[in-house]
Amino acid sequence: MRWIWIDKFVEFKSGESAVAVKNVTLAEEHLHDHFPGFAVMPECLCIEAMAQTAGILAGEAKNFEQKVILAKIKKAVFFDYVRPGDTLHIHAGIESISNEAASTTGRIMCGDKVIAEIDLMFSHIDQNLAGKHFPEENFVFTDTFKSLLQGSVFSSRRITESGK
Amino acid sequence: MAMGREQVLQQVQEVLVDALGVDDDEVTEQATLMGDLGAESIDFLDIVFRLEKAFGIKIPREELFPAETLMNNPEFVNNGKLTERGLAELRDKMPHTDISAFEKDPDINKLGDLFTVGTIVNFVESKLKAA
Amino acid sequence: MGIITICWTMRFILIDRVIELDSGRRLKAVKNVSLAEEYLADHFPTFPVLPGVLLLEGLIESASWLVREHEDFAHSMVLLEQARNVKYKSFLVPGGQIEYTVDAGTIEENVSSFVGAGVSDGEKIVEARFGLRHFNLADKDPAMAAVDAKVIENMKTRWKLLRG
Repeated sequence: MRWIWIDKFVEFKSGESAVAVKNVTLAEEHLHDHFPGFAVMPECLCIEAMAQTAGILAGEAKNFEQKVILAKIKKAVFFDYVRPGDTLHIHAGIESISNEAASTTGRIMCGDKVIAEIDLMFSHIDQNLAGKHFPEENFVFTDTFKSLLQGSVFSSRRITESGK
Repeated sequence: MAMGREQVLQQVQEVLVDALGVDDDEVTEQATLMGDLGAESIDFLDIVFRLEKAFGIKIPREELFPAETLMNNPEFVNNGKLTERGLAELRDKMPHTDISAFEKDPDINKLGDLFTVGTIVNFVESKLKAA
Repeated sequence: MGIITICWTMRFILIDRVIELDSGRRLKAVKNVSLAEEYLADHFPTFPVLPGVLLLEGLIESASWLVREHEDFAHSMVLLEQARNVKYKSFLVPGGQIEYTVDAGTIEENVSSFVGAGVSDGEKIVEARFGLRHFNLADKDPAMAAVDAKVIENMKTRWKLLRG
């Protein structure tokens, strides 16, 4: 299992909003446990798909210099469940952003159906988690995440400039 | 934006209920953010964003919740208590709060008690007047 | 026959054992964190920590078992309906063990509400307020009754494993 819950970005407005796509496939191992007999994408992984979409949006807004960590799920409400064969569109927008944190809102769509509404808070942990031990280098924005932006239609210039 | 104190209090209460998941009746003016309402670091950030949105004002986090920068600075804290410099800094950063009781025993663990719902209302009111 | 699925891949079960049960009211479960958990390789390569949404999943699973046991496995589907104020207070690292405690607010026929927290080594890691919904696929499509039955059988088997 690779911890990457979005497949590509189809829209990216730096500092504002983004739309990512996730295809749900029976090849995903965890679906066979949730539940054995009838596969449903776990809601927590839908939240993670939003966290990755919104987290990359918030990270890119600060040039990937901050370690952007999910600190609080303000609200996550689900209206329907997700099945193998579904294609999800994850819409995320930055509501507020400062040096210490970012607040995002968003919804997950499957076609015309609203699957979920998810509002998150990210902490830029260098500015916040005094006393907790974590590495100095930016361990959050790995090449795997940044490659989602590279090569997409909306390739961000900043990725290549920062060289991180 | 001319807003009476009652109105400001009501909006602040709404913000705190949403941000902290507490009940309406828990959010009294005297309720302390950290002690009574269970707020912590990430909640302060959430509260600041929501207040900015609700009142259309800009709030540098430090201005509303200066405790953290105070507590981490060795010039301001000695042996678990705020020094004279620390107290002066606190007075400067929190003009909207009466710290006379705290000054008698400036234990940093009690710093949280200063942050009440009323403190936030005072702060928002002063920001709105200045705007 | 055919109930036990041979599975050579990582399983999607975010609690290891149920250690306390007060039927319909409170459940406690523990999870050990091992460096062998696949997603840790990506989250994060230089700083492996249990993803926040999987901490939430530990709480969701704990609460789901409270529901299933209390309603005597009446429903196949037990899903997250909403989560609010989910706060992440510290990191959970490999070698650590987390103890989840969920307390039921209400458990009705198709919905339930909970308050939950996870503690590791005396430190609070996660807390959340959330609600579940429970139903059978046959409620909408009677032809699905056999699928419901299969899921329920599998979950009963899993409960025996977790309860020890």
